[in-house]
Amino acid sequence: MATTVLAPGATRVRQRSAVYDWLTTTDHKKIGILYTGNSFIFFLLAGLLALAIRSELAQPGLQFLNPSEYNQMFTMHGTTMVFLVLMPFLAGIANYVVPLQVGAADMAFPRINALSFWMLPLGGILLFSGFFLGGAAAEGWTSYSPLAGVKYSPGVGTDLWIVSLVLIGTSSILGSINFLTTIFKLRAPGMTLLRMPIFVWTVVVTSLLIMLATPVFTSGVVLLFIDRNYGGNFFDPATGGNPILWQNLFWFFGHPEVYILILPAMGVISEILPVFSRKPLFGYKAFIFATALIGTLGFSVWAHHMFTTGAVFNPFFSFMTFLIAVPTGIKFFNWLATMHRGQLSFATPMLFALGFLSIFLIGGLDGAVLASPPADYALHDTYWIVAHIHFVFFGGTMFGVFAALYYWFPKMFGARLNEGLGRIHFVLMFMGTILTFFPMHMLGLDGMPRRIVDYSPNAGWSDLNLLATIGGFIIGISVLPFMWNVFITLRGPRDAGDDPWDGNTLEWATTSPPPPYNFDHLPPIRSERPLFDLKHGSIHDLDGVAVPAVASGEGAH
Amino acid sequence: MSPRVRKAAAIAGLVGLTALVSGCSAMYPPNPVTDQGKDIWSLYNLFFVIAAVIFVGVEGVIVWSILRYRRRGDQLPRQTHGNNVLEVVWTAIPTALVLGLFVISFGIQGRVDAKVPDPPVTVDVTGFQWQWTFEYKDHGLSYTGLGDQGPVMWLPVGETVHIRLHSNNVIHSFYVPAFLFKRDVIPGQVNNFDLKIDQAGTYNGQCAQLCGMDHYQMVFSVKAVPPAEFQAWLQAEEIKARATPTPAASGAAGTTLQLGASNTQSFDKSALDAAANQPFSVQLTNSTPSAPHNFAIKDATGKVLFTGLPLAQPNQSVTYSVPALPAGTYTFFCSVHPNMTGTLTVK
Repeated sequence: MATTVLAPGATRVRQRSAVYDWLTTTDHKKIGILYTGNSFIFFLLAGLLALAIRSELAQPGLQFLNPSEYNQMFTMHGTTMVFLVLMPFLAGIANYVVPLQVGAADMAFPRINALSFWMLPLGGILLFSGFFLGGAAAEGWTSYSPLAGVKYSPGVGTDLWIVSLVLIGTSSILGSINFLTTIFKLRAPGMTLLRMPIFVWTVVVTSLLIMLATPVFTSGVVLLFIDRNYGGNFFDPATGGNPILWQNLFWFFGHPEVYILILPAMGVISEILPVFSRKPLFGYKAFIFATALIGTLGFSVWAHHMFTTGAVFNPFFSFMTFLIAVPTGIKFFNWLATMHRGQLSFATPMLFALGFLSIFLIGGLDGAVLASPPADYALHDTYWIVAHIHFVFFGGTMFGVFAALYYWFPKMFGARLNEGLGRIHFVLMFMGTILTFFPMHMLGLDGMPRRIVDYSPNAGWSDLNLLATIGGFIIGISVLPFMWNVFITLRGPRDAGDDPWDGNTLEWATTSPPPPYNFDHLPPIRSERPLFDLKHGSIHDLDGVAVPAVASGEGAH
Repeated sequence: MSPRVRKAAAIAGLVGLTALVSGCSAMYPPNPVTDQGKDIWSLYNLFFVIAAVIFVGVEGVIVWSILRYRRRGDQLPRQTHGNNVLEVVWTAIPTALVLGLFVISFGIQGRVDAKVPDPPVTVDVTGFQWQWTFEYKDHGLSYTGLGDQGPVMWLPVGETVHIRLHSNNVIHSFYVPAFLFKRDVIPGQVNNFDLKIDQAGTYNGQCAQLCGMDHYQMVFSVKAVPPAEFQAWLQAEEIKARATPTPAASGAAGTTLQLGASNTQSFDKSALDAAANQPFSVQLTNSTPSAPHNFAIKDATGKVLFTGLPLAQPNQSVTYSVPALPAGTYTFFCSVHPNMTGTLTVK
């Protein structure tokens, strides 16, 4: 009798302690997984908003949403994807991977790390609570003033939008300081700056961008809050303010934000391509240089979002924007040269990396034309922009995120995701992305403005919109095999081993998953590929050296 | 390759080529109908050709690498870390390319943004939530769109036209796809530009900058006609405008209903009654300190039947003349604050 009374109590204590452990953890690996899980939940929510948008646009006429609801949908979709999905996804992956890759036991400030994370779900809940409090924000993710002023948007949704972005902005500023301190102060002995994995380098530049750009944005939204609630008169000319000031503040952050979202994804790709080509990254130093150059030039291009305002000096921003195409071009050449004469294998991380290359290329080319002010006069604020942003952020960053998840999943959980389901996920998502976003170029050229709930049946836009909607649902469906894959893999055996991909960097030198303190011992670090050196000997770093003894090195894992 | 494989490859190649060519033609903007638009079109064409070449080249290399370099054994490939000459070359070529493109783009921007000193026609455009007013101030003509019925801007073909853009509310954008051109309409600054249409026709335009709930309804059109026809239209319109006083100045017609607004949440009345098939007036008194209001009517299907203009600015009273309505129940609302609604019963 006594045992039946005791047993449930004992179980309850154990269960509560597991939840308590996750709620209070300061382990960078658990926080990284929390970030990733939280981002995935908001990814699903933002995806549902996107499907609502695509359903409404599938044919002319108002079918599902009224104009006011529609404006809330795309505002919340954009805000959620940028601030609660892409940024935290990358921050979560970096949280997990960076301390491991630099051979540290944890982040420099573990408690601040936990604080940075917990601000995100709080910010997300505040943002979404607008739907239940009379309507969410509906002024677009750019929230242009005076439209976002209290005169034209009296609802509480916009105030919630501001408060949640202050929280999320603070979270990323704290996170960036944490990353920089970790990377500059906690590297393992032997890991000089020019032996850091390329992903760590992209996190360095990204963190600097966040640290310099996000405070400007956070200040901007605080000014907007004062404008709305205490008569600040910063942005509305009717009361002596200046609407262009908001645009300058927003885009001074907003354009570096584009690089904040793409650089770590480029870093992921630059980790995966060498491993699955069995070659080092071609031009490691040039790649770091290009990343730093993008970060620097990224602060001088913001007003290319304002070419049509007539309020900025177009030639300067046009010139800088043209110039920033060069380092991105360098990176493409590096990636292609990495694959050249390699030994390519096509596990799911590599598929997503190749998907990134093929799709992000389009986002680079359709963006280059926007560097030209006269071309921008035609294309600005049309569906061309919607196509461009999605080729960069979805075809680029999201494919990078999925590549990273497939690549580091065995390290996080000790089990590899199923390859068959991974291939289905990849093929559906690749097709869906092209089908959804490519027709938007043609819609934009033909004059369809963004952010409209309806269009005339005589405009000739119906077929392309239907195509984009079908593509959108294919993307939606593609997430299902991924979720099923995660579910069955976590129920299966954890037999991936320490180094399932024959990796190059330190995270593969510890167990999967790693112990709380990360490493029992570290291999010597003499290049940016310490594990490769360990397995194959650093003699193979020399160009043109024959490699007779490699097969035996293969058996190491 | 067996003949059958070769034939299949040839057919696939042909289909691919056809798709590429048809895809390419869809990748162009509409035929430009202004001098400025033609410049922009040629610039776009240059970008598109370069982008298409790069696209085919890079995707080709990716596909080639996938096919040619797939893993065939356990032997490590040669570990190449870089090549300084190659890297300098592939930095220099794109740099030269983008500098060249900048110079060309800079030249075309100068031509597109150029203005003539004394343009023969000037139109003042005012954007508001959510329609446009086009004014020919030299001729005392003014046209305002209502609901989803935008105004028509008549312009002469072959003459330089000057457009000035005004807003006293939020930001809009004046966009005509066939001109390959848009310019933002920003409160607190008057943007202006010149254009010269060289082809008669009617061209649709609409607001391109999100400006609130009914942004999508801010449509308009430009009707370009030969100069002689344009002058004849101007004269006829001037005579018509002198014969009928503008609606805003017409004073009360029929009974006048009183309506007030002291905040941005609701009118002071939630219901109004009017007689069927008779014009009537609504005097709107706006005592809100910070926001404009107006009086608008939509039917049960949501179609906007009347939008009262001009907006009643803070501490202002405006009388709107509403045309006769058939019996029925309508919703009256404020275009600026669509959450302000009430029931209008016409019987």
